[in-house]
Formats: sequence, C-alpha cells, structure tokens
Amino acid sequence: MTFYESKIKHIKNSCFSNDKQIQTVIGIKNYIDNNYESDLNLELLSHAKFVSKFHMLRLFKKYYGLTPRQYLIDKRIYKSKELLTNGASVTETCFAVGFESLGSFSTLFKTKTGKSPIDFKKRATFKK
Amino acid sequence: MKVTLISIPVRDQEKALKFYTEKLGFLKKKDAPLGGGNRWLTLVSPEWQDGPELLLEPAPNHFEPCKVFQDALMEAGFPYTQFDVENVDAEYDRLIKLGVEFSVKPTEMGTAKFAVFNDTCGNNIQIVEML
Repeated sequence: MTFYESKIKHIKNSCFSNDKQIQTVIGIKNYIDNNYESDLNLELLSHAKFVSKFHMLRLFKKYYGLTPRQYLIDKRIYKSKELLTNGASVTETCFAVGFESLGSFSTLFKTKTGKSPIDFKKRATFKK
Repeated sequence: MKVTLISIPVRDQEKALKFYTEKLGFLKKKDAPLGGGNRWLTLVSPEWQDGPELLLEPAPNHFEPCKVFQDALMEAGFPYTQFDVENVDAEYDRLIKLGVEFSVKPTEMGTAKFAVFNDTCGNNIQIVEML
C-alpha cells in the first residue's frame, strides 16, 4: 500500500464511515439531479428522504461542501448553458431549468458566468 | 482574477502531448515555441473548450526541486492533480484497454468515487466522479 492509499484509508475511516448518512445525502443529490427543474425547497427534499430539514442541510454541507441550494443553482446554471448552446431561447431556458422569473434568472446567470444569458447564447451559437 | 490554467510538470512535452491527447482525449489548444526546444503547450477538455487550460510544463528538466518534488509524489502514490469524469468505472475500463496503468482501481470514498493512473510523464493523476 502506498503512502497515499494509507492516507486515503485514514480519511475514509475518520470522515466517511457512516454509510447510512452517505447514502442519504447521495439520495438527496440524485433527487436534485432528477428534479432540478421543479420547485424544490428544503421541506420537499427532507420529506423525500425522511430526515429533518436542518439535519439534511447539515449532512449535505458536511459531505458535499456546499448547501443543497448552492448545488441546485449550479445544476440549473449548468443545464441552462447546455440549453442556450443548443439553441433554446432565454425565456424557454429560464423556465425549463426551474427559475420562476426571467429577471432573477438573468441576474443569477450573469453573476455565475460573467455573461448575460443572451450574450452567452450569442457567443455559443456563433462558435458553432 | 480568473482561474484559467493548471500546470502539470512533465519530463517530455511531446510524449505528454501524445498521452494526454491520444489516450486521455484532451485537445491541443496552444503551442508556441519558448526557445531551447521548450513550448507553451496547453490542452482543453473537448466538451469544455473555453474552460481552463492544462499546461504541460517541462519544469522538472530545468528546475531540480520540481523534479525532486515530482519524484516524491510519484513514489508516495500521490496524484499531482485530478480530473472530473462522468463515470469512473467506464473511464477505467476505457483507459485499461489503451494500456494505461492504474495504481488505485475505482474506489468509493464517501460521496466520491476515484481511481489513480500513471501519466507516463512522471505523475499520478486521479479521476473523480461525484456520487
């Protein structure tokens, strides 16, 4: 066993030994992956996995290093880039990935990517 | 400030270019001469061509401490860096068929699955899938 493998084993034992917790958070992440376009909130996520809201939030952050909300936003932005690149309009994209208003989608998209959705779409389709 | 580049030390840039493009599947983006046979050589992911570039840097040939550090990491099995993949098992199977040598087979750790291979240019590289 290399020094790296022994270190990994040590981390696994000290941080990742609770299989039940790990399976719960992986389940929540999969749930977000499969339902990112719907109106997701903490209540819904915790109900889906039968854990309390705050426990779920704490667990998710502990294992993924970010909150379910942050993960969901990143997922939606990632998906919206795909849709815009493939020719969808900004409005179509906004609602397809689960945002409720064009204004909040555009602002968030610009904060996360540095470009507005329309600029992003122009560049992406121009490159093709 | 923007993060646009990660550098990987390599002993032979041409060999590294072949391994990273032909086996791993990266695309060459920039290739400019820097004198003495050295090049500014960068690669990108095919599915993220405007994403961060990977610089194949001949540092171990010109700066001894870099070589010492690289050798120590290799000896201890530590990856120099890591790349995200969709599916570690599938990538492992694909690379094994191409003759790539793994020091760590696909292994789960918490919410991640990873494997480690030898890039034949002096480094261990880790591939990771988020579960």
